[in-house]
Amino acid sequence: MLIMKKLLLPAGVVIAVLLSSACDSDRQATEQQATTATQQVLPPYPISPLPEGLAWETNTDDPVFASADAVTGGTLRLFMLSFPLTLRTVGPDSNGSFRSNINGNQLSLTTFHPNTLNIIPQLATHWAYGDDGKTIYYKLQRMARWSDGRAVTADDYLFTLEFMRSEHIIAPWYNNHYRKEIVAVKKYDDYTISVTGATEKPRADLHYYYNLVPTPRHFHVLDRHWVTAYNWRIQPNTGPYQISKVNKGKSIEFVRKPDWWADELKYFKNRFNVSKVRFTVIRDLETAFRHFLKGELDTFNMVDPKFWHERSKHPLFKEGYIHRIWFYNDTPQPSYGLFLNQDNALLADANIRYAIAHAINMDKLLNNVLRGDYSRLHNIHTGYGAYTNTAIRARGFDLDKVDAYLQQAGWQQRGADGIRVKDGVRLSFTITYGVPDHTDRLILLKEEAKKAGIELQLELLDSSAAFKKILEKKHDIAWMGWSTGLRPAYWQHFHSDNAHKPQTNNITNTDIAALDTLIMTYRDAVDEPTRIRLAKEIQQQIHEQGMYIPTYMAPYARSAYWSWIILPEFYGTKSSLSLFNPFDAGGSGGLFWIDQARRKRAEQARRDKQSFAPVTLKDETYRVF
Amino acid sequence: MQLNPLTRKKLQRFASIRRGYFSAIILSVVLLLSLFTELLVNSRALLVHYEGAYYLPTYGAMIAGKHLGLDYHYETNYRELKQFYAEQGRGNWVILPPVPYNPYENDLVDGAYPPYPPTMANKHYLGTDTTGRDVLARLVYGFRIAILFSMILLLCNYLIGITLGCLMGYWGGWFDLLFQRIIEVWSNIPFLYVIMIISSIILPNFWTLIIVMVCFGWMGMTWYMRTASYKEKERDYVLAARALGASTGRIIFHHILPNTVSIIVTFIPFSIAGGITALTALDYLGFGLPPPTPSWGELLQQGTANVHAHWIVTSVVAALCILLMMVTFIGEAIREAFDPKKYTTYI
Repeated sequence: MLIMKKLLLPAGVVIAVLLSSACDSDRQATEQQATTATQQVLPPYPISPLPEGLAWETNTDDPVFASADAVTGGTLRLFMLSFPLTLRTVGPDSNGSFRSNINGNQLSLTTFHPNTLNIIPQLATHWAYGDDGKTIYYKLQRMARWSDGRAVTADDYLFTLEFMRSEHIIAPWYNNHYRKEIVAVKKYDDYTISVTGATEKPRADLHYYYNLVPTPRHFHVLDRHWVTAYNWRIQPNTGPYQISKVNKGKSIEFVRKPDWWADELKYFKNRFNVSKVRFTVIRDLETAFRHFLKGELDTFNMVDPKFWHERSKHPLFKEGYIHRIWFYNDTPQPSYGLFLNQDNALLADANIRYAIAHAINMDKLLNNVLRGDYSRLHNIHTGYGAYTNTAIRARGFDLDKVDAYLQQAGWQQRGADGIRVKDGVRLSFTITYGVPDHTDRLILLKEEAKKAGIELQLELLDSSAAFKKILEKKHDIAWMGWSTGLRPAYWQHFHSDNAHKPQTNNITNTDIAALDTLIMTYRDAVDEPTRIRLAKEIQQQIHEQGMYIPTYMAPYARSAYWSWIILPEFYGTKSSLSLFNPFDAGGSGGLFWIDQARRKRAEQARRDKQSFAPVTLKDETYRVF
Repeated sequence: MQLNPLTRKKLQRFASIRRGYFSAIILSVVLLLSLFTELLVNSRALLVHYEGAYYLPTYGAMIAGKHLGLDYHYETNYRELKQFYAEQGRGNWVILPPVPYNPYENDLVDGAYPPYPPTMANKHYLGTDTTGRDVLARLVYGFRIAILFSMILLLCNYLIGITLGCLMGYWGGWFDLLFQRIIEVWSNIPFLYVIMIISSIILPNFWTLIIVMVCFGWMGMTWYMRTASYKEKERDYVLAARALGASTGRIIFHHILPNTVSIIVTFIPFSIAGGITALTALDYLGFGLPPPTPSWGELLQQGTANVHAHWIVTSVVAALCILLMMVTFIGEAIREAFDPKKYTTYI
């Protein structure tokens, strides 16, 4: 899903450039217009009659996942590698990494409890299911307020649909999604709505696929100037923080709302404790680390083995001023790996695909370069709970098996440089990828594959160019990963509907009738056991087909932080992708706090040249791999 | 060989500027050696003696391990082979090059993680980079690529630049005017952006990079050659040649060009230095030759990203400084040698 949005970016850039150069005075006019629009009384959306006999549900019984010891106050200082191109969250240039900070302060109707994975209320207090299997009814939280003080009502949800379907936002993916996937949003009174999706799904899945985030109707004027007029306007939100200061190109500051409407609600209490969050632009990771050591940043992400093992040899770690934590989580893992394009004449042969899989020396990569910190990924959908077929083991490095498979395919002869040849054709493939940092990993695999007589040429392109090439199916082998969802998705990646044509996610060009049938049955199945059985069966088929070679996963959050940042006694939740995310209101963000007194003591101790015991925490409560 | 007394004088003056002269000698030797790098820095052995037969693996097809008594079908690891033979003690032996590594192989040690610091024992004289490849090997092979790249680039640039420049100066008129405007417009295209755009769409290789760089690099020389030809064509000897019925080509190549050669020669060293820095800069930014091509820019990038592994950054910075310094010394000496004013001194 994420990736599909990304694809719209290049087109978006062009449009944004055209628009921004179009007319500046126009934009000013619209901005004025927009300000006046907020005072306008907009006609309410029509009201429908609420069906009888709905069984309303809620959930306030799950355990809280915040610490009562938390104290408020302080400024959390973080960095970003580049300044966002816009503060909009949809439209051209909006799919940057900063968007998660803005969206992390926009609540949705319901969410999943980060530990139990049960549904818990957010902007809705109660929910009920329609008989058609694709509608959910919601009773809205009456206390909910936008950051400008206005009440969040049914109209804001109906407006989301209008907004996302509007051509003025220049976001084709959203346009399409909110037309094809979300079929209707109905209003029954100011605080009761329903959302209807396109297809039937199990109940828990409905909350994931047909969830909605309200859009402040009083704030937006949807016309052809919207994209430029709203580039730098701060949209009212429902979450705990709001942007308070934008220093273009340099920094963005968020401030905690002093009387946030949800402060006392069960699942929000004792969270979001810091008063301010400041993101400063530091364009380079190494420089950012220097800033961190100087105490100008409070935390630093250390998933990269280089940082965790090498950079943390600094005295500040040994003297106990900077602590480290390695926290395992249990979440769906992105499907990183090598995707083999089966439209390539050589890769169409299963023997060659298996041979390549056995020629990829993941063990050496994991142990000698990645320091054993990452684990081998065995299956395309790992970490999806019951939906994961744990019986599947990825093919390991084995030169004898490579020989056997290639013998069958008639590739036993080696050329002068050791690469196999057959009828004058070399057994050579190009790996297309877009992350410069991964070159180190690929050159090792390339050298190892040489031993098997297979040549892997590396093609590093700009990330969007690489992705474009892959989506156009012009690659031999793609080195990439797909982001995760609540449930495994197969149609987009492996159904023949999406094979042999550009701009679809079936980048392996998989076209197998039997697999198609399985995928369609899985898609249409409503009851959970059937879906689980089918998902596992599909994973087995993918493994047997061998067009995807799984590589690695890092199922944990790992960070360094100054000793004055305090984590709750349980550190994080099963779903914590980061322990120091100040926002992520829909997940498990904002659990930590800043101890100001401790900070002063630490600063004094440094001046006095004292030292403390080093702290490195490792938590394996949720470790599964 | 009879040299023109003027040329002899120039050579004498060149030799009298010691740092330029020695730089020229050192650089020529290094350049010559770099053509035979495979014999000095290579993972393939120079000579293998196995069961009475001799093998010369350096050039030619790879020899599988099975062939030399090991148990695998892929290319022999000669360092291991040497150890193997020594342990076997059956009179087989291997002679390895002084630096027994090629610039591509990852020499990884269990339990330790690259980059490894320099060690004499492992023959990693300048240590390894972040994936365990020998820094010295990458420096040496990177040098060969950079210098060849720079020389080919220079040749192409000068060929176009000198021809067009001379024609502009010699013909003058509308041809001159037209190309002046074309060059002015063309030089305003931001070259670095073009390279970035191109290399993000296609994977550049040695030749595409040269083509792109020639496209944007030929203009520099035209201005000098145009001015020089303008001046020369009014000279009596050119008029005389024309009166004798010499063709344009003959006048330009046989009369004007030899008289402007000092300009060209003076520029050559600086253009070479320019070519090397351009390639290094592009590689540093990640827009140059694709990985895993050995390149100084890529080493520099690794070095600055891993300052704690100081051997990477010091090696490449030192190599870059020495090379550019030598080129500059040579350039200086040539300029001096061709300078008609005798008493210009360089301190």
